[in-house]
Amino acid sequence: MARALPLAGVRVCNFGSGWLGPVFGQTLAFLGAEVYKVESSARVDINRRLPPFGGGVPGPDRSLSNHACWAGNGSVTLNLKHPAARDLALRLVAVSDIAGENFGPGVMDSLDLGYDALRGARRDIIMISMPAAGLTGPLKGVRTYGMSLSSITGLDSMTGYAGGGPVPFENAFADPLGGVIGAFGTLVALHHRNRTGEGQHIDYSQQEGVMQMVGPAFMDYFMNGRVAAPMGNRHPVSAGAPHGVFRCAGDDRWISIAVLTDDEWRALAEAIGAPAWTRAAEFATAPDRLANIDALHERIAAWTSGQDAAALAGQLQERGIAAAPVLNIPDLLSDPHYRERGTFISVHHPLGFDETIYGGYVKMSRTEPNIRTGPLIGQDNDHVFRDLLGIDGAEYERLVAEQVIF
Amino acid sequence: MAAGALDGIRVIDMGELIAAPFCARLFADYGADVVKVEPRGRGDRSRTWGPFPGDARDAERSGLFFYLNTNKRGVTLDATTPDGRDLLLALLRDADAFIHGMRPRELRALGLDFDALAAINPRLVMISITPFGQTGPYSDWNAYDINAFHLTASGMRYLGRPGEAPLEPGTFIADFYGAYAGAAWGLAAIIGRDAIGGGQHVDVSTAEVIAALFTGAQNIGGYAQDGVYETRSGVGMRLGAPATIFPCKDGYVWMLALEPGQWKGLARAMGDPDWMQLEQFLDMYNRAQNVDAMNPLIAEWTVQHTKQEIMDLCQSNGCPTTAIYTVDEVANHPHLAERGFMRDIAHASLGDVRTTGAPVRLPGSPGGPARPAPLLGEHNAEVFGALPGRDGDAVRRLQQAEVI
Repeated sequence: MARALPLAGVRVCNFGSGWLGPVFGQTLAFLGAEVYKVESSARVDINRRLPPFGGGVPGPDRSLSNHACWAGNGSVTLNLKHPAARDLALRLVAVSDIAGENFGPGVMDSLDLGYDALRGARRDIIMISMPAAGLTGPLKGVRTYGMSLSSITGLDSMTGYAGGGPVPFENAFADPLGGVIGAFGTLVALHHRNRTGEGQHIDYSQQEGVMQMVGPAFMDYFMNGRVAAPMGNRHPVSAGAPHGVFRCAGDDRWISIAVLTDDEWRALAEAIGAPAWTRAAEFATAPDRLANIDALHERIAAWTSGQDAAALAGQLQERGIAAAPVLNIPDLLSDPHYRERGTFISVHHPLGFDETIYGGYVKMSRTEPNIRTGPLIGQDNDHVFRDLLGIDGAEYERLVAEQVIF
Repeated sequence: MAAGALDGIRVIDMGELIAAPFCARLFADYGADVVKVEPRGRGDRSRTWGPFPGDARDAERSGLFFYLNTNKRGVTLDATTPDGRDLLLALLRDADAFIHGMRPRELRALGLDFDALAAINPRLVMISITPFGQTGPYSDWNAYDINAFHLTASGMRYLGRPGEAPLEPGTFIADFYGAYAGAAWGLAAIIGRDAIGGGQHVDVSTAEVIAALFTGAQNIGGYAQDGVYETRSGVGMRLGAPATIFPCKDGYVWMLALEPGQWKGLARAMGDPDWMQLEQFLDMYNRAQNVDAMNPLIAEWTVQHTKQEIMDLCQSNGCPTTAIYTVDEVANHPHLAERGFMRDIAHASLGDVRTTGAPVRLPGSPGGPARPAPLLGEHNAEVFGALPGRDGDAVRRLQQAEVI
């Protein structure tokens, strides 16, 4: 028997897509909710076509990255262009607690699946919309990709090498983060509903979620009128130095080192062997080290450059210095931190291949999630439409034949 | 004012610096009663980190501390003394959640490991947020945000120029990412206590959250199966183009024109120059192959216009290009003004302070910062005096004994 999970009994209808939609549903699913992705074979989710594919064979049920981010969600297929499909979607909403979507504002309304329609189907439904810049305001129609979303938050203007212009972050880190934030907002509303019986329509603006991370720079602007610029890996609020990544032995190998206290500085100086320069006046205090940070970082890089990053991190940690190896993709599978915590796991896909995905990305002492592979397209149609919604066999066959359930 | 959604949830926040305090602030944003417990005397370390007005260091004037601790009440105690520990346990006995950023050996030293706390409060949810979590070979390592971020391969894979240092975006990415995850999973643990029969320990490694959700999700399946992987390019997306940053008259824009309609939209915005019809720029894959020839042609146009002109022209023609707004441009943007996102809050030492609103908007149960971050020990008498068996005299005795 499956163990009880915190959100047992909570059902979610997930109209989400991209990379944010899946992580939203997945987070709730890992916590025990029963989540159904609503998708269609009439317009196959573009992420189902992303290589690489399981066993190297292309197919909508074989995209490895798609499986990682959708794992936990189930799948039903409804061709929402069809009015009968819209009615079925509302019947699913009627037996759900939560409905999520991340289209642009107005798209759900144009499908006749806006908040009023959903509330008509289920009075206390919690609906969450997760567009780029929220449901109201002059920028509400702005079109972004996850990769470029952070351009309207201030963050991209302060990402790059010190003294240079912005450098692009080459993937959409704000997307999976938005899924997590959306799940959090939904849980706040679920708690409210459990106490009051009231549902609501949540407006999650991805811009406002990511702006929280820029908060320290906003405070500096509000208090001092200073406008942040790219600072490389330097400390975001200039509280200490050295602070950065330093080249080590090997090809593209680095170690991260952060010194925020005088004790940490003294320990680092000793680890280096206390050469004369570590006692120079220009590096004596944190303000000195910050004022002379380029010279300081050069000295440290000269010392780290011949050394093995992982071994050096271990040695520095023995002295209480905050240091860690800088990992690349292959390292994620071999690093002892991720191995011991079981961050990545191999699961068997029903189509006959094994794939490596991530499991519970937070560790729960009593409710470890049940991790399965990402959903086959329409894998839960039978269960949802026949068992849950009570559609009889002949009717179900007709809806499939007419490509409503499709 | 409508009650907050999390009214009635009691949180003890023993966090310092960014991650754990931000997680607790998310609870405070929505009405939870969050009591911030700071070490007697020195307070949360973020009180020593800026920004400070005029860069003048003052424990009551840290913008960082303010930002992360609005809506909380603040107490101080020395948890290493028996009396201080008794006070802390009295607070935890009635709490729904205990949020902290201590490493396992620090927790054990204070006798605050989860089993000990569960024995006095079986419904307690403990949310630990540290770079490397409560288990694993690095769990007792000293580490800050940057150490966690670069353990996720995010910088090596996606940010920086080849041959140069991998970068972190200019803030505490791992701390904030992990804090959001801790809030979501922790709140679920609170909501689900009846379903599972009590509280539990929610263990966040900020590095693990990003390594799984971000870098792992799109790279590990392929690497595990095929043994191939990629590293940062410094130029945006390599598979399709244009998908990168361009300079313009007054800054930069993030330009995306991948799908045919987006490329046509960009062409319209640029006045349909002839070169955009050439075969080598036919689709996003061809353009990526010929990016060195294409980018200067696009830049020739962008440098003649402001970021806002480019954004408006592109957006109205169906090309999802956006301005790279600087911090002041975002702070003063009419969009956020119309949404009423910024909040002004009076603080005893800082005066009126502007800060951002809550990350998620719940019309049925509004939230967001309304009360200032606490002064050091501001609510000692109020919070400790309300504990069973501790009246004003008892609190004064604790003060004299330097417990609080």
